[in-house]
Amino acid sequence: MKERNWNADIVGFILPVLLFSAWYLMTMEGGVPAYLIPSPSALVNVAIDFATGHEKLTPYAGTLLVHSIASVQRVLLGFGVAAAIGLPLGFMTGRIALARESLDPTVHLIRIIPGIGWLPIAMVWFGVGEGTTLFLISLAAFFPIYVNAAQGASSVSPLLIRAGRMLGANKMKLFTTVIIPAAMPSTVAGLRLGLGISWAYLVLGELTGVTYGLGAVMMDARMLGHVEMILVSMVFIGLFGRLSDMILVGSFRRLDLLKEESEQ
Amino acid sequence: MKPLESTNLFANSINKSFSTPGMDSSLEVLEDIWFHIMEGEFVSILGPSGCGKSTFLNILAGFEEPDSGHVACCGETVKAPSPQRAVVFQSPVLFPWLSVKNNVRYGLDLRKEGKKGTEDIASSYIKAVGLDGFEDYYPSQLSGGMQQRAAMARALVLRPKVLLMDEPFASLDAQTRYSMQQLLLRLWEEYRHTVVFITHDVEEALLMSDRICIMSKRPGKIIEELPVPFARPRPLSLTGSREFSMLKNHILERLMT
Ligand SMILES: Nc1ncnc2c1ncn2[C@@H]1O[C@H](COP(=O)(O)OP(=O)(O)OP(=O)(O)O)[C@@H](O)[C@H]1O
Ligand SMILES: [Mg+2]
Repeated sequence: MKERNWNADIVGFILPVLLFSAWYLMTMEGGVPAYLIPSPSALVNVAIDFATGHEKLTPYAGTLLVHSIASVQRVLLGFGVAAAIGLPLGFMTGRIALARESLDPTVHLIRIIPGIGWLPIAMVWFGVGEGTTLFLISLAAFFPIYVNAAQGASSVSPLLIRAGRMLGANKMKLFTTVIIPAAMPSTVAGLRLGLGISWAYLVLGELTGVTYGLGAVMMDARMLGHVEMILVSMVFIGLFGRLSDMILVGSFRRLDLLKEESEQ
Repeated sequence: MKPLESTNLFANSINKSFSTPGMDSSLEVLEDIWFHIMEGEFVSILGPSGCGKSTFLNILAGFEEPDSGHVACCGETVKAPSPQRAVVFQSPVLFPWLSVKNNVRYGLDLRKEGKKGTEDIASSYIKAVGLDGFEDYYPSQLSGGMQQRAAMARALVLRPKVLLMDEPFASLDAQTRYSMQQLLLRLWEEYRHTVVFITHDVEEALLMSDRICIMSKRPGKIIEELPVPFARPRPLSLTGSREFSMLKNHILERLMT
């Protein structure tokens, strides 16, 4: 068993190592020019400079924090709005026939339009930049959150519900103490999808023109020909996406734990 | 029929059928069931598979409504489930996201009883079912028998008037089942709640109950009620006695017809 895992670890490293080597070889003297693909070391230097600002390699030296804060704020706000609307609506749709019948068809109708298709009209309504970004994130993240919360709530085992009622739970208590906890695995999966999508639509929205934000840096760097900054921004967006996912999952674990403790 | 003073739970002239969507005729499951049980009595219901035993128990619990007839417990018409009529299901049905202790506390917490008291009551019932030391385990970390014991503690902690059990030990192995039967009898002797016990095991019914109701094939009717004459405690060796096997054979014959 142990040996297997060890093998699997090795296997997982082969492709990244190959890709990295290929990248390194390509960027060596006489290879692909640096304005298309910068070398790994150049990228690392620029990334460090982006964070610290010591060497002033690019116009963006030392601005990582400002841009990151701007982007993270937008994601938090947009995702927060999506969750605040998607979770209650999803839970209701999953359990209440009237809510399902009146809500679900419309939601799925709207869902047919790809999120990106909302970009032009969003720019008309909210102008370029801030408003459009928040709107796109909230809209796109809403669907997976809503759908998975509804799915989780509707597939709660009827026996668990009977158990809750028999032990004295009224309708409201049944919702909070049986249906929502039982729907949690599916709900968290929806939240994670929504958060991932939030980062994607953040970039889309920021490309339309904001002053601060990692997407703005990418767009700006493209025009000024700083290709390594485009890649560095991509890496940071990936890192933030991963980090936010870990925080989300971790806080749900913690929340469960805290709940256990507070009831003791 | 006016029920007697000490009648705890009764069901008069219960009829129930299920209609399946797409089919014209509905499936008649229960036909004119009359059932009553005294306070503190232990009654088993025996019947062939599919005859409507679970359906009947669900009606007694208030999970399902009969098409006609009347169910009342402690002088009140049964309309919805209540902790007065606690149910132990065939599978344990614990809340998987709660520890054993919090599963047992669940009903007490809904009642908002004093925090300190709740803790003590819950522990004493966990102890009574022999799960002390496992308070902080989650259901998935327990064996089937342990889960069923936790489910019993969760029901009993609410001091129900009636305990409704639907083949609670059917999925357990022989030894575990025997110890669970002993545990149930011990708890029953201590708390003296009324027990409606559904089983398909004739020996189990004879060893446990004061009275046995035999149901017919679907549509289920109670075709015979017989008191169990053996004094308690009933040792396992009782199953070898002549009277026991005669009763057992009689019941088996009735079940087959
Ligand atoms: N919700 C339902 N909808 C339609 N038919 C049902 C429903 N519940 C039960 N039935 C039918 O009613 C009949 C009796 O079912 P029930 O579960 O009460 O039997 P049972 O006596 O408990 O059987 P077993 O001993 O196998 O558990 C079966 O034929 C079943 O198909
Ligand atoms: Mg059954």
